[in-house]
Amino acid sequence: MTIAITSGKARIWLAQIKAVIRLEMRKTFFAKRGLWIYLVAALPVFLFIAFAVATSGRQHQRAGIARRGEKMLTYLDLLAVKPGMTRQDVLAILGKPPVTFHWQENRTGELVSHESYGYSDGQNDLNVGLADGKVESVNIENGYNPGQDAIMFAGVFQFFFLRLAIFFGCLGIFMNLFRGEILDRSLHFYFLAPVRREVLMVGKFLAGLLATCTIFVASELLQTAAFLWHFSPSAREVYLYHNHGLEHAAVYVGVTILACVGYGAFFLVAGMLFRNPILPAAAILIWEAINPFLPGILKQFSVIYYLKSLCPVEIPSPPGTPPLLALLISNTDPVSAPVAVVGIVIVALIALYASSLQVRRMEINYTTE
Amino acid sequence: MSVPVNSPGNSAANDRIVFEDVSKFYGEILGVNRVNLSIPPGITSLVGPNGSGKTTLMNLMTGLVRPTRGRVEVLGYKADDPEHLFAILGYSTQFDAFPKGLTGYQFLYSYLRLSGRDAQTAEQMAWRTIERVNLVDAAKRNIAGYSKGMRQRIRLAQALAHDPKVLVLDEPLNGLDPLARSEMIALFRAAAAQGCYVIISSHILHEVDVISDQVILLSNGYVVAEGQIATVRGEIQEHPTQILIRCTRPRELAAKMLEDAHTIEVTIHKDEKGVLLKTRDADGFYLALNQLALNGNGNGIDIESIAPADDDVLSVYEYLIGNEEVVR
Repeated sequence: MTIAITSGKARIWLAQIKAVIRLEMRKTFFAKRGLWIYLVAALPVFLFIAFAVATSGRQHQRAGIARRGEKMLTYLDLLAVKPGMTRQDVLAILGKPPVTFHWQENRTGELVSHESYGYSDGQNDLNVGLADGKVESVNIENGYNPGQDAIMFAGVFQFFFLRLAIFFGCLGIFMNLFRGEILDRSLHFYFLAPVRREVLMVGKFLAGLLATCTIFVASELLQTAAFLWHFSPSAREVYLYHNHGLEHAAVYVGVTILACVGYGAFFLVAGMLFRNPILPAAAILIWEAINPFLPGILKQFSVIYYLKSLCPVEIPSPPGTPPLLALLISNTDPVSAPVAVVGIVIVALIALYASSLQVRRMEINYTTE
Repeated sequence: MSVPVNSPGNSAANDRIVFEDVSKFYGEILGVNRVNLSIPPGITSLVGPNGSGKTTLMNLMTGLVRPTRGRVEVLGYKADDPEHLFAILGYSTQFDAFPKGLTGYQFLYSYLRLSGRDAQTAEQMAWRTIERVNLVDAAKRNIAGYSKGMRQRIRLAQALAHDPKVLVLDEPLNGLDPLARSEMIALFRAAAAQGCYVIISSHILHEVDVISDQVILLSNGYVVAEGQIATVRGEIQEHPTQILIRCTRPRELAAKMLEDAHTIEVTIHKDEKGVLLKTRDADGFYLALNQLALNGNGNGIDIESIAPADDDVLSVYEYLIGNEEVVR
């Protein structure tokens, strides 16, 4: 009997949660005040598209240089040129250069003849600098560097997408779930229905989560597609299937979802507790930013602490980076993936519990807002 | 109707709307203070000037605000238990805002889905309610384009949609044309006749007078009087009862009635077809008038009608609260 009542109640709650989600999705996806969230989510996509366009243009140039060369060169041919070689040695190995520059320099009253030869194997560039017929400098520019590109992708993900785009996107959506309706003076519509306030809160949270996950996971997938666009089919295959590229993409999607869960729960409760969203947003942003400097126990009450540990690519600090900045970049105190996932879920559950207490106390008193 | 699951076990409380020593303060501002009420079925009107606490009382009843002190229960359900309370209660508020982008039909349909009803039932109930409030033609239009009267009707529809046992209606006739007013009043009466509790707040006293079974008079957050209008009037001792007697030869009747000890003041009606008397003992006065008629001392005066002239809401309101901010 008890089980039957419980399952009946659960069925009604589920139907009510679905009804809340349907209403909220309409508002969240098509609200004018939320258009900026799409823009923020699309920014890294535009960045990677611009990068892919620039890289593709460069590759077309390389292919043109390779075609114009006297010989079809390999990467090993490019590596064979060393400083100190003569012009004849270079021409013997690489043939007549397709790109050349000449100029003269007056070095303490003596004229020095400079030449610059440009070669390409179709994917990589070689620039040879000669002075008076001898190789002075050799510079190889690699066309495909998946490792370097992956670090760039990780940097954009961690320092823009995660900490700013998702952060502010969640702020915009979750803060408005209750606060927006108080400002619109329409929250009473929900409060007049025979719905437990906690069920309403869960429905709204799930609606926000569905919206943010749809927007930011779509952005993440588009970023990955744009990032891979300039790769040749073979390089793409190597990166995806032999270089953990596919695995990394899946992890980034997972981290994106967990970020929405964590920040969403934070901003849901903040939207109920504070009238002005700027103050809690600034407080949470600062709290997340100073996380590396916090004592171990306090670090655990942060979303970024767990998310950083889940990111698949470690970003190395460039040499000479000040220690404080290096601390921000590197993850000195990582936790294991299961601990990180459970940690975020627990932090989110604590925030949702606080929301459930708050939603029960909420009153409709628009005039004081 | 479902059985209250959170009822205190007091069967008397389960068929009343009960306020027990309820106070509500908004910071330092008084909403209502020390309210004790036990509201029976029928139409109960909350009457009082702006800021007297009518809406606060309704919001307390429906859990939209929480009492600073005291207890509110509606047919045994606590006001802070919306899951059970709104299964039996519908509230038409004065808040003139709706979820954005919804048509009238979608507004009601969403509300019914939110109540846990399946799609087919919700659709049927939504259309039936739309018909009840005469909004069929506008049902597929966005609420943002509705007139004031249409918005009022769709709010009423939300309150009525799930056939609640208790209807709480905050200024429900505002913005409605005379025809719609009479339709709505008929609807409220029908609900009351079926045993529903209809709680109405209104500024328009003659309408309150026409439809109310009982009134609750509020002033500055306090309940000044409650009960049936005639009973409330009878309890107001400082203002003598006024009685209008329609008769022939009013001057002669006036002279006779002045001889009676119960009569305080007699005025000839402006149309010279009756007298208006004031008495502090209405029962004693009626007895004396009967004696006059039976003993044949009327000297050919034909009495056509005898009716109290000030036992309506307007008079009671003016005696107790004054004549501020009311529409007669």
